[in-house]
Amino acid sequence: MVIAVALFAFWQAADLPIGTLGGMGPGMLPKSLAVLFGVLGALLVLGSVFEAGPPLERWSIRGPVFVALAIVAFGLTVRPLGLVVAGPVAIVIAAPASEEVRWVETIVVGVLMTAICVGLFKFALGLPIPLAPWLMGY
Amino acid sequence: MFDLIGNLGLGFATALSPVNLLLAFIGCLVGTLIGVLPGIGPIATIAMLLPLTFKVDPTGALIMLAGIYYGAQYGGSTTAILVNIPGEATSVVTTLDGHAMARKGQAGIALGIAAIASFFAGTVATLIIAAIGAPLTKLALLFGPAEYFGLMVLGLGLAIVLARGSVLKACIMVVFGLLLATVGQDLETGQERLTLGFDDLADGIDFAVLAMGVFGIAEILRNLESPEARNVVRGHIGRLLPSLADLRRSFGPIVRATGLGSMLGILPGNGAVLAPFASYTLEKKLAKDPSRFGKGAIEGVAGPEAANNAGAQTAFIPLLTLGIPPNAVMALMVGAMTIHGVIPGPLVMTKNPSLFWGMIASMWIGNLMLLIINLPLIGLWVRLLKVPYRLLFIMILLFCCIGIYSINNNPSDVYFMAFFGLVGYVLIKLGLEPAPMLLGFVLGRLMEEKLRQALALSEGSFMTFVERPVSAALLLLALAVVVIAVLPAVRKGREEAFQE
Repeated sequence: MVIAVALFAFWQAADLPIGTLGGMGPGMLPKSLAVLFGVLGALLVLGSVFEAGPPLERWSIRGPVFVALAIVAFGLTVRPLGLVVAGPVAIVIAAPASEEVRWVETIVVGVLMTAICVGLFKFALGLPIPLAPWLMGY
Repeated sequence: MFDLIGNLGLGFATALSPVNLLLAFIGCLVGTLIGVLPGIGPIATIAMLLPLTFKVDPTGALIMLAGIYYGAQYGGSTTAILVNIPGEATSVVTTLDGHAMARKGQAGIALGIAAIASFFAGTVATLIIAAIGAPLTKLALLFGPAEYFGLMVLGLGLAIVLARGSVLKACIMVVFGLLLATVGQDLETGQERLTLGFDDLADGIDFAVLAMGVFGIAEILRNLESPEARNVVRGHIGRLLPSLADLRRSFGPIVRATGLGSMLGILPGNGAVLAPFASYTLEKKLAKDPSRFGKGAIEGVAGPEAANNAGAQTAFIPLLTLGIPPNAVMALMVGAMTIHGVIPGPLVMTKNPSLFWGMIASMWIGNLMLLIINLPLIGLWVRLLKVPYRLLFIMILLFCCIGIYSINNNPSDVYFMAFFGLVGYVLIKLGLEPAPMLLGFVLGRLMEEKLRQALALSEGSFMTFVERPVSAALLLLALAVVVIAVLPAVRKGREEAFQE
């Protein structure tokens, strides 16, 4: 519960200054919403002080870190290196997010899935997604 | 009446063209394929498959999207029955008796009755849309900005009430959504707001990116946490077609649930979510032997499934007539329509009748197709469900990445998806439901626009919302709904209702 309180305090602190960024006219709505948001957050914090809530669930770090890294890696590589590289890279980075990694299996699936996606999205649907610009020029 | 038949005729003529039929078929098939994957609900499915429709003309694209939508819905029920993992809130109820039936060796019958119930509900709901779509559209043209604003406030009020957990938390999420919606260029002056200097945020946050992050990625993260605990029903599925006795027992629940679902689905603010719960409670109350429920009662599958599908379909009514998406899935449909140059609202029906009626007719065709293609394919879905999650999640992840990248061909969308995935994970952990936030986000822009228009017309006086009877009534209703939900007595009942 303490963590939740701390998070909400941080949350409020973060959203209020952001709310004042806009100019007068256009900023009116975001500002008032930010204030409302802050007030509701404060209410929740107050409520949690007086009333014991359910205990927080366990947080895991492993899943979020690897999945987020994998997505970012995909975003970074898809333009310059193409789907042929980005697909396996994302899959290999994401795999350790699960506690039961099997590397050989992962790599096989990565290559296979990429091939399927290339076939499906590039050739069957003709989406303008780069394949391997360094190899084929597109 | 003649209008109705003529319109439906036009619709079927459009929807039955070979190309459109093929598109509906592909939509249903891939929609089910992705929807079957555990933890992937209709929202993530549609966001992922949106790029599939890009190369098709608007009518065809919408028909395909409708197919994907129904496929995703049905795929979710399949997962609920076979694996006991609901893909989204509305199939939670199906897991209760559906999975119990599957464990008794009646998985086939449960799936069969779900398909039949969905088909019946879909047929009725299609007729309802066709019948009241036109009159409602006329009504919608009389609505001014103040009325629209009132209606959207009512929608958000209902969304707060219908969310699980505390009312305060739901309020917070709605406001959070509204706040997110203000990111991007100002509507009138074009000045950038809350973009933190990111150029990519100037156009605002893309809805598909937000939805995919919060519902797709966050869901993966949550599933990764719990070690593999899926118990896919082993052994045979059993026969698919329910016996005559089963059908007779299910008939009443299906009819009642269809009515219930159709009414709740029309409500702004995601009334459809409530429909399966309401149907389940109703059938349990009406049953001669309520103790059978939860242990594999066929009524407990037939009713909620019919309610779910009816609600899912009538949810199109506010979208197509008023242009107001009542839930997150419909908001994605808005996004998809806008990409194809169709602005949902009262004008669609008059300006583009073949698109409007074609889509309605294809809803029915989609339901029929699901019935036909899914029953023989259930074996395939079962095998798909046996793939371990450590392999499934990387595939889902890759599809999410490609899908989001393809919408705008912009790598920054992919980063934002990762970011919102983490945000969604934190929200789930804090017990904050993302659905109200998404609705707030969806309605935010439209609400700001209407609010400003209304205030401009009234020269800055807020009295305009109270002086106009319709908007005053809507706002009052919204207030009443939220106040009632906070009252202690009702609050207790609401908690009980969600526990079931």
